[in-house]
Amino acid sequence: MLPAVDVVGYWLGIFLTFAILSYLYKDNPFYKLAEHLFVGVSIGYVVMQQYYNVLLPNLFDRLTFRPTWYWIPLVLVGLLFVKSVSRRLAWVGRYPLAFVVAFYAGIQINAVGESDLAEQIAASTRTLDVSKTNVNAATAEEMAGLPGFSPVVAQRVVKARAEGRKLVSLDEVEQLPGLSAPQRADLREARGSFAGLDAQASVRDGERYWFGIVSRLLLLVGLCASLVYFYFSIEHKGLLGKVSKVGVWVLMIGFGASFGYTVQGRLALAVGRAMDMLDLDKPAELARQVSGPWVSVVSIVTIIVGIVVWEKVGQKRKS
Amino acid sequence: MTIDRRWIFVAMGLALVVPLIMPLGLPTEASPPVKANFYTVDELPAGAPVLVSVDLDPASTPEVEPYFRASVRHLKKRGAKLYFVTLWYQAPPLVERWIAETVEAVTFPGDRVYRRNVDYVWLGFREGKQAVMANMGQDLWATFAGHAADGTALADIPLMSGVHKLSDFALLVLVSAGFPGAKEYVQQVQARYSLRMVAACTAVSTTDLSPYYASGQLLGLAGGMGATAEYEVMVSRLVGIDPKTGMGAKALDALNVGHVVVILAIVFGNVVYFAGRRRR
Repeated sequence: MLPAVDVVGYWLGIFLTFAILSYLYKDNPFYKLAEHLFVGVSIGYVVMQQYYNVLLPNLFDRLTFRPTWYWIPLVLVGLLFVKSVSRRLAWVGRYPLAFVVAFYAGIQINAVGESDLAEQIAASTRTLDVSKTNVNAATAEEMAGLPGFSPVVAQRVVKARAEGRKLVSLDEVEQLPGLSAPQRADLREARGSFAGLDAQASVRDGERYWFGIVSRLLLLVGLCASLVYFYFSIEHKGLLGKVSKVGVWVLMIGFGASFGYTVQGRLALAVGRAMDMLDLDKPAELARQVSGPWVSVVSIVTIIVGIVVWEKVGQKRKS
Repeated sequence: MTIDRRWIFVAMGLALVVPLIMPLGLPTEASPPVKANFYTVDELPAGAPVLVSVDLDPASTPEVEPYFRASVRHLKKRGAKLYFVTLWYQAPPLVERWIAETVEAVTFPGDRVYRRNVDYVWLGFREGKQAVMANMGQDLWATFAGHAADGTALADIPLMSGVHKLSDFALLVLVSAGFPGAKEYVQQVQARYSLRMVAACTAVSTTDLSPYYASGQLLGLAGGMGATAEYEVMVSRLVGIDPKTGMGAKALDALNVGHVVVILAIVFGNVVYFAGRRRR
């Protein structure tokens, strides 16, 4: 049984959601109320969180319960942040700011260089001659990424080979002992001679993975064309202009994918609120207590009636 | 020709609400990054220590909450020792509620209740973003000042005896809604300590994180509500509960119909635009 105060919290959440959505009709007092509440509660929450998680343990506790001399200059430098009290002294705020910027730059430059530059370049610099993975010779690590495979399936293949078994066709992989029913089903579903298991794996050496070759060519062309687009030292005319245009297309496809995901994200927010209001994300007992659909109806009616009254009062005042 | 945009809102509202009330039961097929995520967790040895970093706020819960719940089920099924942290100040109330509802509860047949500081540790929130990640890579205990979120000294928690830095964990599960999150973990500690990581993220972060999955820096990735629902369905089948009862699975129909409405609106808008141009 949920405490009454929490149930009221759920009701308030539903009412405020509709109050925010009422902006789709037009700006109105319900929207304003929800907006101001949101800003006020957010600021209050942030202030308390920062006090209890940052100021109290890192400053007040350290200065009172376990004072150490090297904290004193750090506190003094930190105090320079309080520059807004005087316009004349605003320049002193640059010193702690410079310290923070330098600290995070130091943390980020090496990390990004290693993970985003070195690792990504290493992952992009591959041969264009892509061979099929020979399941009779490859290591478990090489096979783990094949469609339908997983590290466990790859280990089973290696084990079978160690027991002297040589696979004569890929059909035999799903017959290996020790595989679970879902793993066998995955292997069956992953078959396919275009980009599936049959395209990427073989039981002998020397076969080509053609879709992989085309895919890597596309990556190379797309990468080079995009880099050309950002090369501004020469005017983009003639051949360079055409290559640059290909780069624009590649970038647009990338932005399109990002936009598609953004749409999904926004829809997910709406779905999440709708599920909350319909009690679909709550256990049955809690759903009975909250009665979200009824609270939604009451909220909608209240807001509609409220907006109609507000508009009529506004018209009267004007006339 | 112009159309009042409020009609589009009405159409979208109906497209999202109707499938929630009357589910269509559209099929769900897990994508390769989600399957990779699933298998990475599924192949953990029993009793492996796993760090779960829950970096999110209330706005991102519809997208990543199904993943968190499914992931905890999956990790409990594997018998993993769990350690929770967050680097978002908005997250602690949510994480504490979810821990009570998933970690400290029986959520599937054969599941057991995990006890605080015995089977799992909630280390709490630390301000500092990437600096905290870098510090956890070197000294986890010092980063959290030697105490769990409830004030218990880490030295008094037997579960903490084997874990002093991030490389002591068998896997990092990143439930990430933005900055700081999975991207910063990869940048700050993955390459430096060769850590094994899987991540779930919001849809808008997916294109940022996909290159890390392609390069093997992330071993699995569930991006957005669709992918987290796919993971949830896989885990539900594994632990023997009805996949349709999951939060993600319930939301998937609405998401799919919503996308259809967006596509129709784009097609309709273009048809009207080109028809108008031809007339002119």
